[in-house]
Amino acid sequence: MANNVSDLALDGNTAVRLLQDLFAADITLAQIRCEACNAAQGVGSLATYGTPMGAVLRCSCCANILIRAAQTPRGLWLEMTGARCLKFQSLHASFKLGASGLKIC
Amino acid sequence: MVIPGNSRDMTVTDAPSSSKRLEWQLAEVRDVVIETYRVKSLLLLASGWQGHLPGQHIDVRLTAENGYQAQRSYSIASPPEDDLLSLTVERVDDGEVSPYLVDELRVGDRLELRGPIGGYFVWTAEKSGPLWLIAGGSGITPLMAMLRHRDRLPSRAPALLMYSSRSLEDIIYRDELDAMVGRDANLRVVPALTRQQPKAWTGHRGRIDRATLAAHCFPPAQSPAIYVCGPTTFVESISGLLVELDYDPSSIKTERFGPSGG
Amino acid sequence: MEETPISRGFRPKRQEQTPTDRVPPGQYVTTDFPVLSAGPTPHIKVTDWTFALQLGGSLLGKWSWAQFEALPQTTIKTDIHCVTKWSKLDTTWQGVTFDDLLKEVGLSEAPAPYVMAHCDGAYTTNVPVADLVGGRGMVATRYGGLPIAPAHGGPARLLVPHLYFWKSGKWVRRIRFMQKDERGFWESLGYHNYGDPWKQQRYDGD
Repeated sequence: MANNVSDLALDGNTAVRLLQDLFAADITLAQIRCEACNAAQGVGSLATYGTPMGAVLRCSCCANILIRAAQTPRGLWLEMTGARCLKFQSLHASFKLGASGLKIC
Repeated sequence: MVIPGNSRDMTVTDAPSSSKRLEWQLAEVRDVVIETYRVKSLLLLASGWQGHLPGQHIDVRLTAENGYQAQRSYSIASPPEDDLLSLTVERVDDGEVSPYLVDELRVGDRLELRGPIGGYFVWTAEKSGPLWLIAGGSGITPLMAMLRHRDRLPSRAPALLMYSSRSLEDIIYRDELDAMVGRDANLRVVPALTRQQPKAWTGHRGRIDRATLAAHCFPPAQSPAIYVCGPTTFVESISGLLVELDYDPSSIKTERFGPSGG
Repeated sequence: MEETPISRGFRPKRQEQTPTDRVPPGQYVTTDFPVLSAGPTPHIKVTDWTFALQLGGSLLGKWSWAQFEALPQTTIKTDIHCVTKWSKLDTTWQGVTFDDLLKEVGLSEAPAPYVMAHCDGAYTTNVPVADLVGGRGMVATRYGGLPIAPAHGGPARLLVPHLYFWKSGKWVRRIRFMQKDERGFWESLGYHNYGDPWKQQRYDGD
């Protein structure tokens, strides 16, 4: 059987890290709407492809390419023509962990 | 803002606009625990650690003397309640980083890490409803952080772990899971052994399939929070089956470990 | 400025090779065959497979699997180089050369100077015709004497081994001749338009 990657990695996160460097908000919590089939899905739930050349995020419903990104020595390229829109959660949220559990403050 | 102090009072700030969690810091290896013949847990003290949520992960970076660097991501296996960070690492035979972490790293060594990373694959006991965890191989790691968090509080929200391993010897955290089940009537653990089973094994033999899921599940009407973690093919197969069984896709969270694995 | 701490006892698995006449600069040799894809592996039934040569709106030639297999076959042994720095030496491929495809459609030379290879999963890559003729390029169907595995581009992939391997588009379905060069999938995302490993043309501007 053909061999492939030589070490265990968190597949989705290698690509998401590339995108995360660009966005202030947590990209994995954003909702994205596919331009081809209009399906909305959480970015965190998407399968990612293309590593290590770049990141390719595809629609879970129709496999349309939603986001493409590549880190080059001259800058980070981002192409999102396959996404109709992205909706981010609010930028600031804090959690307090106390003896009685978590409270959102 | 971080209030230093004992872990019970730790303030976990998940402020995504802060890049503090993306800065590299040094952690010290305080203990190494042998989990199985190819898996070890590293217990780390990171003095600058600002807390984390169960399910998050960190990036680890190694630097060789010639300046060469290798970087990998590992799920945090410890709950936020613990003082030491725990990473559970499986030795991948052909690997570059995991053989170093499992075979070479010793107590007293230092390890560069950054995080916590990821707000998507997270569960806390504050979330209502039953918790359904489905693990393939070393995918148990972030799910164990969730179970340990649930155990520490303690929370007795109904929880179910389905855990697929190749053989009995490959089950990570076996004793700890037995102990948790022993003290908590609301926790069920359903192991599946896919390649080798002891003669007297009464548990599931073979892969987790649709029938296994249906036999033990929380019904869709109970709206369980579902977390699936493991090799990509495992995660995609299980997610597909869950959707066939009428679970709302938005209630199923997935974390894929590499394009192959197990 | 703090120095990055050295990890005691860590040795890189791969050593960067001193450039030889077989290993381009910045590459290391692997015995693995790593898989890199821009999408999920398609599982294509050869009974459903077709391959076409196209110029503008017209079809120059189209083959079913059986027809393609009946074309003249060529076997080559070559080295391949991925932009992600691994090189694999002495790989054997069998397929139909670009020269033989042109002959099959009755052309003594290509009708345009560039091609775009269109592959499953909306993957594309552009190659000058000069880099395909004279035995430099083929549509390959066998690797190591066996049908190419789906993860490695089977049933058929483009093979242009003297360029970085992203140009050897997996799951190729049609080759479209172009009068003007256009950038394909990676070429339009910051990667080099041509991709000569011997000049380390990895990224645009290199």
